[in-house]
Amino acid sequence: MHVLGVVGPSDSGKTTLVERLAERLIDRGRVATVKHLTHAPDVDTDGKDTARHRAAGAATTYGLTDDEGWFATGEDRTLDEALDALAPDYDYAIVEGFSDATVPQVVLGDRDHAGPELAAAPTADDVDVDAVLDALAGTEPRETLESLVERVKRSPRADRAGAIATFTGRVRAKDAPDDDPTEYLTFEKYEGVADDRMETIAAELEEREGVLDVLLHHRTGVIEYGEDIVFVVVLAGHRGEAFRTVEDGIDRLKDEVPLFKKEVTVDDEFWVHERE
Amino acid sequence: MEWKLFANLKEVVGQSEVEVDVQSGETFGDALDALLEAHPELAAEVLNDDGELRDHIRVLHNGDNPFVSAEGRDTELEAGDELALFPPVSGG
Repeated sequence: MHVLGVVGPSDSGKTTLVERLAERLIDRGRVATVKHLTHAPDVDTDGKDTARHRAAGAATTYGLTDDEGWFATGEDRTLDEALDALAPDYDYAIVEGFSDATVPQVVLGDRDHAGPELAAAPTADDVDVDAVLDALAGTEPRETLESLVERVKRSPRADRAGAIATFTGRVRAKDAPDDDPTEYLTFEKYEGVADDRMETIAAELEEREGVLDVLLHHRTGVIEYGEDIVFVVVLAGHRGEAFRTVEDGIDRLKDEVPLFKKEVTVDDEFWVHERE
Repeated sequence: MEWKLFANLKEVVGQSEVEVDVQSGETFGDALDALLEAHPELAAEVLNDDGELRDHIRVLHNGDNPFVSAEGRDTELEAGDELALFPPVSGG
């Protein structure tokens, strides 16, 4: 799922731009949107049955109709959690008003923001939508284990698949009881070459008898303790070749792909290859 | 020709890309020597006592290892080639 942010002051036309982008992106895939609110949601107000469910302590409440749509409300949800939940089922997510999010952003009216700037303009009317869509296509998609598993389930070869095996690499706090806890890792990637290597590894593994689809995905940038770093997902006829291929996939990725890991602990920072 | 540097090698030099004055028709070894002459602090990181690349240092020429898929230091370069120098990979 590609993620695109729109930030700007309240009179800059953020929502107009989100509309224009969404109208174009629905021709290319399924689109989700997320809006930052500065007030409590007013979708189900005091006295409604769903509001009473929430008031009684439900952490999440859905209102579902037979054929007129649905809504959901809940207690706590971060943008990251919302995007991870959307990633398996959507091709695009447009998020409006999240200046602190480290997603690619279209910046209106010089708004301070985190995340790389895909385009900047005084107002929505000054934005070249085609250029934004081209730039979005070149951004790293947001993947989760679930989004990759959903993709192989939709494979044209899935009718012969009796197994999906996966590997998830994550940031551990310590390798021994007295280690300094790791706060985060940063990964640097050799752009272009790293992705080519991963494609080559996947293609070579897919040539094996009984192996149908292989996906490798490695996140880059800052990854905090507890977060996922890397995924290998294998769709195969049977479990034996699925397990073997997952193991070989992650071993080859770690040996061959030009990615570089710096570790930051509570008191230190170092390139991991210098300690191994 | 342009060299790309990664991880601690980038930090030692203070930049991720270094242009060297090596022309089409010269060799990979010429380009490596030009890089290390311009940045002796990098030579200290990547060369052993015999002045050869340390075993764990990796080089790529247009994404391939010239010591495996071409003529090593004698590999002839063409305009626009991309050269890379990096420490052991550490993904995952």
